[in-house]
Amino acid sequence: MLDRRIFKEIDWTTILLMVVISIIGIIFVHSAIYFQASKYVWKQSAWLVVSLLALLILLVIDYKVLLSFAFPLYILMNIILAGLLIFGKPVANTRSWLVFGPFQFQPSELTKLAVILFLARLFSDYKEDRMSFKAFFLSSAIVGLPFILIALQPDLGTALTLIPVLLGTYILAGLPKKYLVVILIISCLVGFIGWNYGLKDYQKKRIETLLVPDQDPRGAGYQLKQSRIALGSGGLTGKGYHKGTQSQLRFLPARHNDFILAVIGEDLGFLGILAVFLIYFIFLFRLFSAVQVSPDRAGVYIAFLSAMLIGCQFMINIMMIVGLFPITGIPIPFLSYGGSSLLTNFLIAGLVINVKMRRFAYVRF
Amino acid sequence: MAKIYEDLSQLIKRSRLTLIIFSLLLFLILAFYWKIQILDHQKYWKMAEANHLRSLPLPAPRGLIYDCQRIILADNQPSFKVSLLRESIKNDSQTIERVSQLLNLRTEELKARMDRYRWLQTYGPVIIKDNLKLEEVALIEARREEFPELQLQVEPRRYYPFETTAAHVLGYLQEVSAEEIKNNPYKKWRGGEMIGKAAVEKQYDDYLTGQDGQLIETVDSLGRSLGEVNRIEPIKGQDLVLSIDLDLQKKAEELLEGKEGAIIVLEPGSGECLAWVSSPSYDPNRFITRFSPEEWLSIINDSARPLENRVIRGQYSPGSIFKVVTALTSLETGLITDRTAFFCSGSINLYGKEFACWFKPGHGLLNLPEALKNSCNVYFYQLGRRLNVDTIARYARTLGLGQITGVDMPGEKEGLIPSSDWKKKNQGEAWYPGETISVAIGQGPVLVTPLQVAALTACLANRGIKVKPRVTRLEGKMEAVKDKTGLNPETFEKIIEGMWRSVNASGTGHGAYQPGFDICGKTGSTQVISREKAERMIKRGEEPAKTHSWFTGFAPRYQPQVVVTVLVEFGGMGGQTAAPIAGQMFKLYREKYVR
Repeated sequence: MLDRRIFKEIDWTTILLMVVISIIGIIFVHSAIYFQASKYVWKQSAWLVVSLLALLILLVIDYKVLLSFAFPLYILMNIILAGLLIFGKPVANTRSWLVFGPFQFQPSELTKLAVILFLARLFSDYKEDRMSFKAFFLSSAIVGLPFILIALQPDLGTALTLIPVLLGTYILAGLPKKYLVVILIISCLVGFIGWNYGLKDYQKKRIETLLVPDQDPRGAGYQLKQSRIALGSGGLTGKGYHKGTQSQLRFLPARHNDFILAVIGEDLGFLGILAVFLIYFIFLFRLFSAVQVSPDRAGVYIAFLSAMLIGCQFMINIMMIVGLFPITGIPIPFLSYGGSSLLTNFLIAGLVINVKMRRFAYVRF
Repeated sequence: MAKIYEDLSQLIKRSRLTLIIFSLLLFLILAFYWKIQILDHQKYWKMAEANHLRSLPLPAPRGLIYDCQRIILADNQPSFKVSLLRESIKNDSQTIERVSQLLNLRTEELKARMDRYRWLQTYGPVIIKDNLKLEEVALIEARREEFPELQLQVEPRRYYPFETTAAHVLGYLQEVSAEEIKNNPYKKWRGGEMIGKAAVEKQYDDYLTGQDGQLIETVDSLGRSLGEVNRIEPIKGQDLVLSIDLDLQKKAEELLEGKEGAIIVLEPGSGECLAWVSSPSYDPNRFITRFSPEEWLSIINDSARPLENRVIRGQYSPGSIFKVVTALTSLETGLITDRTAFFCSGSINLYGKEFACWFKPGHGLLNLPEALKNSCNVYFYQLGRRLNVDTIARYARTLGLGQITGVDMPGEKEGLIPSSDWKKKNQGEAWYPGETISVAIGQGPVLVTPLQVAALTACLANRGIKVKPRVTRLEGKMEAVKDKTGLNPETFEKIIEGMWRSVNASGTGHGAYQPGFDICGKTGSTQVISREKAERMIKRGEEPAKTHSWFTGFAPRYQPQVVVTVLVEFGGMGGQTAAPIAGQMFKLYREKYVR
């Protein structure tokens, strides 16, 4: 049964970093929300407590047990996603919410967890030095199915967060160069077909905006422009907490989620940004270094894919709000407002901690 | 128990490499943040300021215009206008469509208007409708949330309480055109600003225009005001007092009601005009709005040309009025004395051509005062036969004809005093002596404006001192602008004798006679007919062959106080129509000003 020793191995530092980042997020959600700010603060605080509890529960269960449920979980999540597409009621034009009375949840968030576990399970016995075509195809399909289901909701932003997981798999498994060519060809094909038939107008606009930011200053380019103004006008030390005109006067869009970092940059300036980056970097570093202490292949995959998932979301967001990446609606894990996203990120980071605390393998006879 | 580890070194290597790439990328991104936040800080700071601060002009009221009794002729009234803030426009064409629907405007018109002002200062609001009704104001207010790009503002709007009265003195306002803004960069006109476009409103535009104030306010992203940051109050323009006397003005307009013509009443000592009528008139209130091209077109296309300021822009043949100039020339050059007499048999044959007097039976033998009194053509033919046209032209110019009077009104015309040089230049021919005969009685190519005739009359009344007419009152230490002709005052007395007889001794000007008021005057009738006008008169069932009817005179004979000049287009003989009208004006002036 449970070995009490492993609880001494819990990585409390990482958990603390997660909580700190979440609290910074809550503090600036208060600055960003103009109206009934405390309601948002309480809601997010409650989610933080729930997420923390969920994390601790997750830690009790050995990740190897979780792995044995990976396949059914993955199947279940895809069925839910497919069902949502067919039966779901649109909320804000997307069919991404599962509604149980007053309780709402985005299954797409939990899907990330299932995908990571399933991939780890699949590659736990894969000892080749280079990725075989079979493995390449299988891993692509595992990520591809939920990607398509989520993209169809349509929630391209969340779907795109799955891509780093696949990318992580390719990296770990050692993708041969010839497959890179295949990926490139497929991407071009998908890109071409997607641009002409798949992407919605607003999505195309966002990509166009990245290329020519000033062509539509009140449309998609407007968000980018306002976000840059917020950051740039913040300067070195910022305008002070609650004093940023860009966020207080609501020029900045989606201030409490996608653009929360712009609020921090406006209120606290470059020093504030630097501090957030530093804390985040330490956090990511700790996630990645879990790979080195992982007892088995599955653990390595779990740690690495989770770090990729959270790290890439962070990178994409910080590039997005200054115009280095299209505006895709990807929030910063832990920092941005949003309950199910906070919970999911706690669970994903929880997987890494789970692996780390069970780093000593015991051979049973 | 033994720990057994798999060989995971390959995986760890790959993971480490990824982390290194991550770190490098993060460092590069941080450098980009440095650029935005530190290097470009000033630029973005300004953009943030511009984002949340909005500057609105606070329009200054124009100065009021008073008559000489301090009755307000041009007032200001609060009026609502609505502007489109271009900084709030998210989607140009869609917004324009929605707004035009809300305000009941034509989409293309609104679009054209926005395009016209596109080159203006980027965030300047463009006025799209003014003089709103209260219901429209309420409608816009109620839908504030839906239309953050609309901005309601109260502006002082020009209002002329007496409507058509004195319109040709006051002028009117219209929206400044894009060309005018471009051509007058120092004027600081805003797009959509109303400026004086005619008469006093134009002449004294700078004086009447106040200094606009400015309101700087904080706005949120929807353009809603969150409070004032700074406010500079507008400064009202300076008031202007006209020399116009509303009672005389009204009376004069009443007398010309239904006729086309002009009346000027002025004081010969100061040049101040007490009445200035150009008939028909128009209602300047109708031009204040920026948006009624149909109405505007209907007025400028009216064949009676109500916008034409006949007082200074109507050029007419002076007819017998000009006889005073011929007489003056003859006396000054020593050709005749006031006792020189000629015989009028009703007509005279000169240069092989029959020249008729207007009085068929003939006036018999008469001297100069009698000739002026009866306006005898034959007498002046005799003078014209003996005079050189250039001599007449020289004296006419000395008296102020053929040039602008210099009145404080824009757009004055010069008229025309023909000379041999003029003919050579314009028609390439030499002057025929026979033409001088016509000029001597004010026919031929001679053209004068009613104001020139009034100024000439003032010069006669002043015995040779010209005065520059004006429509604004002389105030404080201001002095009338006078100019000596250098002619002998005695000469003028002789002509005035004739003019006195014309009114008071049953002459042609008898219609102007007022008992107890020594009026000296001269009539004139000119046969100038434009076909267009003749046709219009036929349409109205009137006799088309009528002549323009003139009367000009002053009173009293000694120490004259007032000059009255009347022109009635197609009014018939001067004595029939113009003289009685002038008489009425003299009468009213006497009742009001002579005790």
